[in-house]
Amino acid sequence: MGQVLTLKRRQNLIGWLFIVPASVLIFIFYFYPIVRAALLSFQTGVGVNLQYAGLFNYQRLLADNVLKTSITNVFIFLIIQVPVMLTLALILASLLNDPNLKFRGFFRTALFLPCATSLVSYAIVFRSLFALDGLVNFVLTSLNIVERPINWIGNPWTARALIIIALTWRWTGYNMVFYLAGLQNIDRSIYEAALIDGASGFTRFTRITVPLLKPIILLTSIMSTNGTLQLFDETMNLTNGGPANATLSVSVYLPAVLPVFTKVRLCRGHLLCDLCHGGCTLFHPNEGG
Amino acid sequence: MIRRRLANVFKYVFLFAAALLSIFPLLWMAVSATNSSVDVVTGRLLPGTYLLENFRKLAETHNIGLAMWNSFRNALAATAASLVVCSIAGYGFEIYYDKGKDFLMRILLLSMMIPFAAIMIPLFMMVGKMGLLNTTTAFVLPTVSTAFLIFLFRQSARYFPPDIIEAARLEGMSELGIFFRMYVPIMRSTYVTAGIITFMNAWNSYLWPLIIMQSKDSIVMPLLISNLIAGYVTDYGMVMLGVTLSVLPTVIIFLLLQNSFAEGILSSMR
Amino acid sequence: MRKTFGLCLFLILALTLAGVASATEITVWCWDPLFNIYAMEEAAKIYAEINPDVTINIVETPWDDVQTKLTTAVMAGQLDTLPDILLMQDNALVKNVTNYPEVFYDLTESGIDFSQFADFKVNHTVVDGRNFGVPFDNGAAITALRVDILEQAGYTVEDFTDITWSRFIEIGKDVLEKTGYPLLSAVSESPDHIMVCLQSAGTWMFDENGDVFIADNEVLKETVEVYVELVKSGVLVQVPDWEQYIGTLNRGTVAGTINGCWIIGTIVAQPEQAGNWRITNIPRMDKAPNATQYSNQGGSSWMVLAHSPNKDVAVDFLKHTFAGSVELYETILPSSGALATYLPAGDSDVYNEPHPFFGGQAIYADITEFAAQVPKISYGVYNYEARDAVAMAISQVLQGWDIDSALREAEETVKFLMGP
Repeated sequence: MGQVLTLKRRQNLIGWLFIVPASVLIFIFYFYPIVRAALLSFQTGVGVNLQYAGLFNYQRLLADNVLKTSITNVFIFLIIQVPVMLTLALILASLLNDPNLKFRGFFRTALFLPCATSLVSYAIVFRSLFALDGLVNFVLTSLNIVERPINWIGNPWTARALIIIALTWRWTGYNMVFYLAGLQNIDRSIYEAALIDGASGFTRFTRITVPLLKPIILLTSIMSTNGTLQLFDETMNLTNGGPANATLSVSVYLPAVLPVFTKVRLCRGHLLCDLCHGGCTLFHPNEGG
Repeated sequence: MIRRRLANVFKYVFLFAAALLSIFPLLWMAVSATNSSVDVVTGRLLPGTYLLENFRKLAETHNIGLAMWNSFRNALAATAASLVVCSIAGYGFEIYYDKGKDFLMRILLLSMMIPFAAIMIPLFMMVGKMGLLNTTTAFVLPTVSTAFLIFLFRQSARYFPPDIIEAARLEGMSELGIFFRMYVPIMRSTYVTAGIITFMNAWNSYLWPLIIMQSKDSIVMPLLISNLIAGYVTDYGMVMLGVTLSVLPTVIIFLLLQNSFAEGILSSMR
Repeated sequence: MRKTFGLCLFLILALTLAGVASATEITVWCWDPLFNIYAMEEAAKIYAEINPDVTINIVETPWDDVQTKLTTAVMAGQLDTLPDILLMQDNALVKNVTNYPEVFYDLTESGIDFSQFADFKVNHTVVDGRNFGVPFDNGAAITALRVDILEQAGYTVEDFTDITWSRFIEIGKDVLEKTGYPLLSAVSESPDHIMVCLQSAGTWMFDENGDVFIADNEVLKETVEVYVELVKSGVLVQVPDWEQYIGTLNRGTVAGTINGCWIIGTIVAQPEQAGNWRITNIPRMDKAPNATQYSNQGGSSWMVLAHSPNKDVAVDFLKHTFAGSVELYETILPSSGALATYLPAGDSDVYNEPHPFFGGQAIYADITEFAAQVPKISYGVYNYEARDAVAMAISQVLQGWDIDSALREAEETVKFLMGP
């Protein structure tokens, strides 16, 4: 009896050894810096001349209208883009789940490729495509879907649409592959049984597929939400926050305005970023369990 | 019968359309690499004859070879280190489960919420004090351990048959031995998945290399591309060529390993 | 015997040490291989003949990245990661010097003769009466025009010289009607056009005390009115981004442009239009009291970092090249179009050469003349913030807001950002 306990304890200790390197690294390179940043967020001043300023910085932050606009923007993206993208990814994955489908490899590759590109690469491409006389407008006007070319970047709502389109283009394939993997887990016999019972494709999708994929859907939702809240690349490079701050995201605005507010760059703003994202962490423990 | 045929046709049309929309921007990028700057700016869609010219100009003004090599070296180092550190941690969290470890895992997951911009300057200070500026080590260190990867490996360890572990223990294998001789080979596809994701992120990394780079010998591809569009006059054909080149490695790696990639996520989701 | 041997040894040692000690490397951060970097390389060649022990190490860094690295290094206290010389956008110079005191080397008493540079340009590099930069590229504003299109409507480049904006709009409408071509294009959401007009009237978004001067700024209001009129009449067509703007020039969908003279590099990239362009000065504001036909857009200057161990060498280098060598400016002009604000260079033959793309017009001589007459203003510490606020105001006015409210809101925004 005593011997079994010692063995288990020994194994447990080895387990701790396994996880120590990774954990220590995360503490050193993520948690320690953010704590330092947080401490500085309660100060103001230039370089080494820092004084304790309490909540002064936070007060100024809360009074900033542009910041409020940027937060609103991010939430608009979140509410529209994430569900649209995940639904699309789910549908595509379901379609690709058919082993009889021809060109499966081609579809999977083509849909995944966008996320392998870096932003600089596709920003120029997207801007050209969505220009006033760009390809998209050309197609839209030729097919008579619209009368005049849409000024995508010039109008607040079309600019937001552009960001949403860009994000969807880039990340649908990524999420799709996650769903595909999950789908391949589901026993085909369940579908067959449902088919015999007379369930339509739609019913099979909503009553079998979606519930069984819940854990994966949750994972991708969290990842996508996290990514959208921290949105930087697309709003910076595609629309530069315009027109008139309609697509300004928090991650673009805060680092730009902080050196102006206080002379210390790393400050309350970053802590605020984390507080904004903090809501998500509530979900994480459940997911990780 | 007809309805099914119709549904089938619709399915293929939809998939082709989606696939085309996905790769069209990339195709346009590659086509533009063969055109002159004026052609690109005026929206030309057909391939041109300027590929060699663009390449010559690019190679003359910038050291693509060095940038590619640096990017490769950094990405490979980051990937190798990450895979080792995170996989063993993920395995550890799952196989040697206890409440304490679980609690630690949840804390580590919080790190995913931290935006890089927030910790950029403290990191720079730390790396500077360690005297590691401008080194591959500095590039790799902050990104070696990520909660996401640990999570991925932990999930795959969840489905690692405990019988194999028991059998190996009975044969007298050490815990580390079990990890390296049993877990790693079986979970190969998870490693491929994690490797592709890490390689991609390291390859496209911009802000961190920018800050720690202290000499032009450390230049990496994303920085080189950014240099190309920084002038008063931009040669867009040349830029598109540079961009295509910088995208190529990740694309090729994915093409070669894509089967294993899907399997990898599969195995971690079971 | 021993003494001689010892002496020889000593001499060898001394010479070696001297050789090692005097080999200096000056690191420079700048961007654009065709322009700034090229100029630096030529300067390095010239200086190599004066002081062969100095090597110039150029690290290509885009402007945004220079700013990022600078800020990060200062914030992190890692000043030794900074170079010896960097290139600074004039728009950002006052801000950087004010925010990071003691980071930049005061060049006022360095021996560099600042009177040899165009007045307005030197002014951009002065903070609190001290010089911090060696002026470099010329951003003097020009009106560039497609005379072949103008001809169709019966106008020449003279009709655009020394005119007011109301006259410009008048001609513009006529040209648009007769040929269908707008005279100008601009990136929407960009305040550049307003800024050019503002500086041409010798005023800015801040007054002499550094206070915000937007809501009550009659000249600013007039510039916004002019811009709105240009857009509404179709004389100016707005495009979403920079590539599109270049597209309008290269594709020939506009009859001209008003920008810093560096736009010439983009114009000449389209060989099909050779011979069809001319340049002249920009229109002046009708009502502004100090209106001129001259302004500036962009431009940058070389700065020396104060903590650099080689700062004396760096200053000497700049003194003998960018601040002293006509030869340098003559060399870089033909292939890069890099125009100087160094006045002696304007007298040289190279600058007076007729330019074939512009139908033989001696554009460089003209531009140097323009540069000498650009009004002096200080951009201020919160320049970028003010520019963004005004850009927002323009966007609002175009959407229907009344100008006064939009400018008032812009002023509030800037005041807020400037803090208590």
